[in-house]
Amino acid sequence: MTMLEINNLHVKLADEDREILKGLTLTVKPGEVHAIMGPNGSGKSTLSYVLSGREGYEVTEGSVTYKGQDLLALEPDQRAAAGIFLAFQYPIEIPGVATMQFLKVALNAQRKARGEKEMTAPEFMRHVKERAAKLNVSQEMLKRPVNVGFSGGEKKRAEILQMAVLEPSLCVLDETDSGLDIDALRVVAEGVNALRSPERSMVVITHYQRLLDYIVPDYVHVLSDGRIVKSGGKDLALELEEKGYAEYTGKAA
Amino acid sequence: MIVPRTAAEEALGLSLPHRRMEDWKWTDLRRMVQAPYVRMPVTAKQADVDRLVRSSPFAAVKAQRIVFVNGELDASRSSLASSPSQALAVADDDVLLQINRKLEARGATLRLEGNASLPVEIVHVVTDDVPRGVATHHRIEVADGASATLIETYVGEGDYLSSAVVEVALGEGARLDRIKAERESVRATHLAFVKVSLAKGAILRDFTLSSGAALNRQDGSYIFEGKRADARISGAYLLGGKQHADTKLVVDHTVPSCTSRELFKVAMDGQSRGIFQGKAIVRPGAQKTDGKQSSHALLLSEEAEFDAKPELEIYADDVVCGHGATSGDLNHDHLFYLRSRGIPEKEAKSLLIAAFVGEAFDGIEHEGVREALTAYAEGWLARR
Repeated sequence: MTMLEINNLHVKLADEDREILKGLTLTVKPGEVHAIMGPNGSGKSTLSYVLSGREGYEVTEGSVTYKGQDLLALEPDQRAAAGIFLAFQYPIEIPGVATMQFLKVALNAQRKARGEKEMTAPEFMRHVKERAAKLNVSQEMLKRPVNVGFSGGEKKRAEILQMAVLEPSLCVLDETDSGLDIDALRVVAEGVNALRSPERSMVVITHYQRLLDYIVPDYVHVLSDGRIVKSGGKDLALELEEKGYAEYTGKAA
Repeated sequence: MIVPRTAAEEALGLSLPHRRMEDWKWTDLRRMVQAPYVRMPVTAKQADVDRLVRSSPFAAVKAQRIVFVNGELDASRSSLASSPSQALAVADDDVLLQINRKLEARGATLRLEGNASLPVEIVHVVTDDVPRGVATHHRIEVADGASATLIETYVGEGDYLSSAVVEVALGEGARLDRIKAERESVRATHLAFVKVSLAKGAILRDFTLSSGAALNRQDGSYIFEGKRADARISGAYLLGGKQHADTKLVVDHTVPSCTSRELFKVAMDGQSRGIFQGKAIVRPGAQKTDGKQSSHALLLSEEAEFDAKPELEIYADDVVCGHGATSGDLNHDHLFYLRSRGIPEKEAKSLLIAAFVGEAFDGIEHEGVREALTAYAEGWLARR
């Protein structure tokens, strides 16, 4: 079965007439990693938000099918329970909610929604600890409120830890490389690569090719002015790095 | 113009304050207290008392207890001996004290010495009976260098007016963690007055939960009498329906080098009304005063309303003082983030509200008490 099928998707902001996505079509099969590259303002983040169900966007035309069901009919938490995970470009700080508690509530809410047994506290501790160690996320960080006072690198590592803990089927990574130095980028990319599997798909949204040296995609798509204007293999990313987006935007970069 | 006394005023034998008086502009007692509440001894059913004592949020906390049932000491339920308290030392002109006196308040006098390992809980229980006035006043002294945890719990059923006065004196270098939980009957009126004095180097951690009564007004007066004392006064309101809670605090820096912090977190649902009036006075010569206050309200419905009135009266020039107040609804980005991780909307909201209110519990040292308050907040959220 196809993991994700986006067909002629048109999206505008709910309180503005301006269209941001103008007929985007994309098919992702299980196990595939697709990179979506594009200049600022091309609609990359909008795509990630529409997939995760953020309010403020209106789909005016087209469809999004996830594992055979109409994704757009689901609430954000239902989408997460169905296996969709968005790694935020700017992870949100939640004062007063400890990271560990947050992870436990989220994981068990998803399991409950899927009709699975909730994890016990010891099972959960083991589940998190194994994954945290691989991502250099300390116990101290897990005790702190979600993302509060985390550095840019810590926030991104925490996002990938959430992904590892929740074990989604479709990961959408929105500019996961932004704000990371090369060492942090390597840790994050290793965390993402460890999650690659024949059953799990990824949509990696990025402005720069750099991330794709570490997370090597199967397909690369160029998003410009709300549409995918070119698709190719991983070499397309290198070509973009060299020539810029000018060819696709009709403007000099 | 002579305004005829209301039935409530006739019964109490005094004039109640009203909205044209500055301190009472949001809480018009003359209009809001209608029934003629008088002191009226009643006989309580033991099963009711048992049930109410167990309903204290702190029932599971190991403590020495003093239990007042319908305003009278119940020695059989009390594990800590106390002497009856004498007449109030505080000035009589305050209407909340006058009401307490008119209702012939009884109370306990306690002197806390050394390092008490167990908290002292004074449990106030009012059973369902004829509408009436119930009053207590207590006098607590924390000896020089002593440290203690004092819990005051107010629970009840039915229609009554509860007048609660507490005087606390902290000796030199003393520390008191004072936790008050107002969980009165949903039909009750709770009128409280607390006066706390701090001697040199004393530390106060003061927390008040306001969540039960239909009408709650509490006035607090905190006076620094010795240098380098430190008071953190916090509170949480968890209100719904048509509940009304109004806290008026005066923090009086009469001497130099003292620190005061006030933090109130207010969660309001339904058509509830919350008010926070915080005043800091820095007297001439009280240099190096460090005083800050803030109140934050989370409005969970369109019809809830929060009013804040911060006041600073400063007569010294080398001080750091500030205040802040905010009100708003839940942060949509926070909510979306939690939901994007699979947490359903209602649960995500509860998590955020609990985190918001929980900040006011953070200063409480006693883990069991903090957990009991967290559990109470979770229960409130689940019921809303």
